[in-house]
Amino acid sequence: MTIETPGRRLMHHISLKFVRNKVAGHGGRSVNAGLSLTSMIDFLVVTVVFLLMTFSASGETPLTKGVMLPKAENTIDMIDAPIVAVTGSQILVDGAPAGNTRAIEDSKRLQRVDELFNMLKGKRETWKQARPGKEFPGVVVLQIDQDVQAVVVKSVFQTAAFAGYPNVSFMTDQLPKTQH
Amino acid sequence: MGGVNVDSGGKGGRKSLDSEINMIPMIDLLMVTISFLLITAVWTHMARLNADAQVPGPPRPDVEQQTVEPEKQLHIEMRTPEKFVLIWKQGATVVNTIEVPRKDDMATANGAKMIRYPDLAAKIQDEWKNTGSHRDPSDKKLDQAILHTDNETPYVNIIAVIDAVYQTHRPLNLGAKTEPVPAFNVTFSVN
Repeated sequence: MTIETPGRRLMHHISLKFVRNKVAGHGGRSVNAGLSLTSMIDFLVVTVVFLLMTFSASGETPLTKGVMLPKAENTIDMIDAPIVAVTGSQILVDGAPAGNTRAIEDSKRLQRVDELFNMLKGKRETWKQARPGKEFPGVVVLQIDQDVQAVVVKSVFQTAAFAGYPNVSFMTDQLPKTQH
Repeated sequence: MGGVNVDSGGKGGRKSLDSEINMIPMIDLLMVTISFLLITAVWTHMARLNADAQVPGPPRPDVEQQTVEPEKQLHIEMRTPEKFVLIWKQGATVVNTIEVPRKDDMATANGAKMIRYPDLAAKIQDEWKNTGSHRDPSDKKLDQAILHTDNETPYVNIIAVIDAVYQTHRPLNLGAKTEPVPAFNVTFSVN
């Protein structure tokens, strides 16, 4: 950019000192603060890059209210599959009620949960009708509270397996991986 | 208005090659992008542990039954609070039995419990190195681990044991490259 001789100065009667004092706050510290555009844009760009890197296109898997998941380290990524949630004594399949676990807890014996069985079987039939000729993956994800007893886990696990879902996955909270 | 001028002249009545970037729409775009990404951000990371259920299928009279030698399987029993019992079985034959002391050191944070069994994970790794059937990187089959628990064991302990089993990794040839995969396929026994 070339340096050029300034042109005519307008309004000679206004002294430049007056303007300077007006802008600078009469010799005191100015109440107006400047904002460095370069730093601001750098900050915004870094924030956008960070958020883009952590962005998940698949979205968040809905976590049923009241379920506290256990933590695990050696996990694999979530997949799109029916979610069977066990919270308190209630069983939900994709958010819809599918029986309860009271009978299992009272008897302390392994039992098939009929409502869950029928619901999963129905979902399986729907999947097969929607995709004729395709092999059914048979994957179900169990979203179970950390304090639920093993007898309930076993009952739900077995019910899902007999309803045609042999690939059972346990949903967990991801722990950061450590080097072994 | 803020702007970046990279003017280098453009004299002689010709249009300048340099242009000025308008800062306001650019900052607006960045702000909108940040807002969108913050609103749609997923801060909790869910994952899963696989546990196949080995459900016997209906008998197939058309298929001839082949008599194959049963493979060695690692049975992990957590029926007592003092110890884990690792049993290598080949069919109904017990090949080896190992006991591992069980320490339920539970950490709690915001109501979430966490239990780790590093001793069990290390022992399973040693056992697989010595006794595992599918250690060759070209072997696509995995060794089978079967978890047995009593009916009162909390779910958090079951997950901790499955996590310990999946800690053992082995290389697997996938065409041109080799990737580490879990050495075991875990099955959850309902008995």
